[in-house]
Amino acid sequence: MIQSYLTVSVILFCLGIVGVISRRNVFTVFMSIELMLNAANLSFVALARLHESMDGHVLALMVMAVAAAEAALALAVVILLHKHKGKLDTNVFSLLKG
Amino acid sequence: MEHNVTFLGYIPILPLIGAAVLGLLHVGTCTRKPIHEKIYGVFACIGPLLSFVLALRVFFTLKGMPEEARYLTQEAFTWFQVGDLNISMGFLADPLSSLMLLFVTLIGSLIHIYSIGYMSGDKNFGKFFAYLNLFLGSMLVLVLGDSPVVMFVGWEGVGLCSYLLISFYCEDTDNVLAGNKAFIVNRIGDLGFVLGMGFLFWAIGAQGFDFMSLKANAHVLAPGVALTVCLLLFVGATGKSAQIPLYVWLPDAMAGPTPVSALIHAATMVTAGVYMVARFSFIYAHVPLAGEIVAWVGILTALLAAIFGMFQDDIKKVLAYSTVSQLGYMFAGVGVAAYSAGIFHVFTHAFFKALLFLGAGAVIYAMHHEQNIWKMGGLKKKMPKTYITMLIGALALAGCPPFAGFFSKDEILFSALATGHYGIWIVGVLVAGMTAYYTFRMIFVVFHGEPRDQEAYDHAHEAPAVMTVPLIILAVGALCAGFLNLPAIFGGHQQVSHWLAPSLTEHHPHASLFVEIIAIGASVLAFVIGIRAAYKRFGAGAEEPQFQGFAKFAYHKFYVDELYDAVFVQPYKRIGDAIRKTIEPSVTDGPVTLAAKVYMIAGAAFKVFQVGYVRVYALYMIIGLSVMSLLLSQSLN
Amino acid sequence: MFADGLFILFTVFAVVGAAGLVLFKHPMNGAMSFVVTLIALAGLYALLNAKLIFAIQLIVYAGAIMSLIIFIIMFLNIQEEDLPAEEGRFKYLIGGVIVVAPVGMLLTKAVNSLPGSEATIAGAGFGGVKEVGVKLFTEWLLPFEIVSILLLVSLVGAVVLAGKRGTNK
Repeated sequence: MIQSYLTVSVILFCLGIVGVISRRNVFTVFMSIELMLNAANLSFVALARLHESMDGHVLALMVMAVAAAEAALALAVVILLHKHKGKLDTNVFSLLKG
Repeated sequence: MEHNVTFLGYIPILPLIGAAVLGLLHVGTCTRKPIHEKIYGVFACIGPLLSFVLALRVFFTLKGMPEEARYLTQEAFTWFQVGDLNISMGFLADPLSSLMLLFVTLIGSLIHIYSIGYMSGDKNFGKFFAYLNLFLGSMLVLVLGDSPVVMFVGWEGVGLCSYLLISFYCEDTDNVLAGNKAFIVNRIGDLGFVLGMGFLFWAIGAQGFDFMSLKANAHVLAPGVALTVCLLLFVGATGKSAQIPLYVWLPDAMAGPTPVSALIHAATMVTAGVYMVARFSFIYAHVPLAGEIVAWVGILTALLAAIFGMFQDDIKKVLAYSTVSQLGYMFAGVGVAAYSAGIFHVFTHAFFKALLFLGAGAVIYAMHHEQNIWKMGGLKKKMPKTYITMLIGALALAGCPPFAGFFSKDEILFSALATGHYGIWIVGVLVAGMTAYYTFRMIFVVFHGEPRDQEAYDHAHEAPAVMTVPLIILAVGALCAGFLNLPAIFGGHQQVSHWLAPSLTEHHPHASLFVEIIAIGASVLAFVIGIRAAYKRFGAGAEEPQFQGFAKFAYHKFYVDELYDAVFVQPYKRIGDAIRKTIEPSVTDGPVTLAAKVYMIAGAAFKVFQVGYVRVYALYMIIGLSVMSLLLSQSLN
Repeated sequence: MFADGLFILFTVFAVVGAAGLVLFKHPMNGAMSFVVTLIALAGLYALLNAKLIFAIQLIVYAGAIMSLIIFIIMFLNIQEEDLPAEEGRFKYLIGGVIVVAPVGMLLTKAVNSLPGSEATIAGAGFGGVKEVGVKLFTEWLLPFEIVSILLLVSLVGAVVLAGKRGTNK
């Protein structure tokens, strides 16, 4: 039964990866990352239930706090990006091009 | 008796600290208003004077020990350890080094004091004293080093200071070139020293590479190896002590300030080679052939330099060649296994040659940096103190009894005669006459006769007390130092030779009274003939001669510099040029540029993957993860 | 069983919402479907007896963070023409799925190889606010404090980044 939860977590995580590598929209990419964090959270909570220890819950809390911090910063960056380039395309930023 | 002491290390360290302090003071203030010269002077003299006091302490401590066990050691720290080679930063004071210590620190201190007067007004006053202190510290490391390696540290240190001080007036290109010449010529000698050390270590270094262990193991050296070691070490000595064929740098080294010439290029550093040969006497004593070569090189250098010295017109060049000549005597002395005679000559020579140089410095100072003796004359009346002290120095140099030089030189010539080296003896007596001639040629031209340059003469004046007092002290030394080693024929006991005996491996030759009288008589006769010839020629005032024939040849120093330039320097330059033009572009640069090109091509190939989109980089990561997953899936069953 | 039915329901909602996030072109639509996923996840947390996490998921995630994202999307007033073209979007998505498939398979395999366990009855206090709080403020105190510093830093960073005025306008 815990396996079912973990499988859901895996599916969500893979969908997150697909979102990150396939999409160009900044918001979608960002939310895909959030999706991956959530998938991780789900596995934490599921395993906490399995072991009946609440450390997993605390860890999930931490992940959420980090996600909140990340959201604040990432959205600030998105605003800047939009201000400077007027676009929401991750391909605009290709300064690392060799 | 306790042989381990802790105060030996302070002797070199004190001047080194002084050098650091002075150097920092100079660097800190050279862009701003310079600090007062008196401050520099005081700081500069503290280190050497304290070292002198410590040297006295070393001397008296040694004196209180039984004769056969007179040595003090200090092991400061282990410097490095590679395989069998265990080198500690150790110091050794035995009778030999204590004698060197005494006169190096004494004369060093006097010259520091003198320099306060001589260098006053120079804008690099602080730098000068920093170098001078550094030199003294290095020289003391050289003298006190308890192994060839520590000695070599001091050896290189004094070489460096010599270079720095020769090119001290670095605004003038000639001075810088002279410094370069000294440094490069010394490198050749140093290579010999290093190779000699290497051979020595290879042969007997495994049981300890300090002088005491080497001395204990010297008897197992194979004769061939011993000869090689001796000759290689002697190459080092010819570089540092200006012997044939490497003597060419010393006359040029007179480009430095006169106190430097006195301290480094007359009294102390150039005698390091003699000291080194005496230090290694335990090897040289086993190889008579090496001693023979050393003696002949020495006496021929003495002859050559004396010939040059007779025709120079620069007061410092005359003294420089006389230094080379006297160094030749010292090598002749140590070459015929009369180590104590050689070292004793080092000792007395330090006094009278420092005295002569400092006197010459006072003359140059009075004549506003005029060094040509043909522009001087009649200075006797203007500078009586300088005249008298220099006269004493000249008499000592010329070997007039009972001045210091007579006894030491006579000791060497007597040893040569007594050990059957008649050729060396004859040349030595000849050189003694020439020495008297050129020394008094200088004295007569500079101090006697009529002034040749009236205007300069009118401005000439006696040097200040800070310069004359060291002169007087040195004059006393030049007058009396000889009595320390009074031979038995004059009722003396040869204290210096006895003092040095435990450090040296030598056998005093026993000769009949007749031989001794012949040796002394020949020396005195040579002196009288030389001085008489000089008096006839220059006593009553002479004009600058125009050199012809052999004299011209000698005036130009037999064109040895030009010969070296043509034989060694120019071909070397041309070979270098040829290599740069032909081999370097293809052979050396080829692989380098090839490697660069390979990387450029590889870079261009890999550049394709650097698309610059972040998500593509994420994709690469995921692809890697996928491949790993595929592999892991195989094993996870 | 009722719980199994709920599990299937939430799972379907979560996966469909996530797929919607990845597929929708407009970020607004994606955000709305992501909210569905988050709420469904909250339901799954509830099924796992994680009461505190359930509440926080709803309040902080589905509430605060998502409303912040949606607020920014609306604030930027994104029009259809502002969006990246993304012509071959579905091609890329299929390619992405192919690339990720081995990872997913490995993870699934790993999950299934875990020792099977039947649901036990969790203790009365499991996942409650008090219990998690005690854990948080005793064993996890230092990480907790570090996270608080992290939040402060990100707060300052966000202000500095987004708060620049008149730099490029």
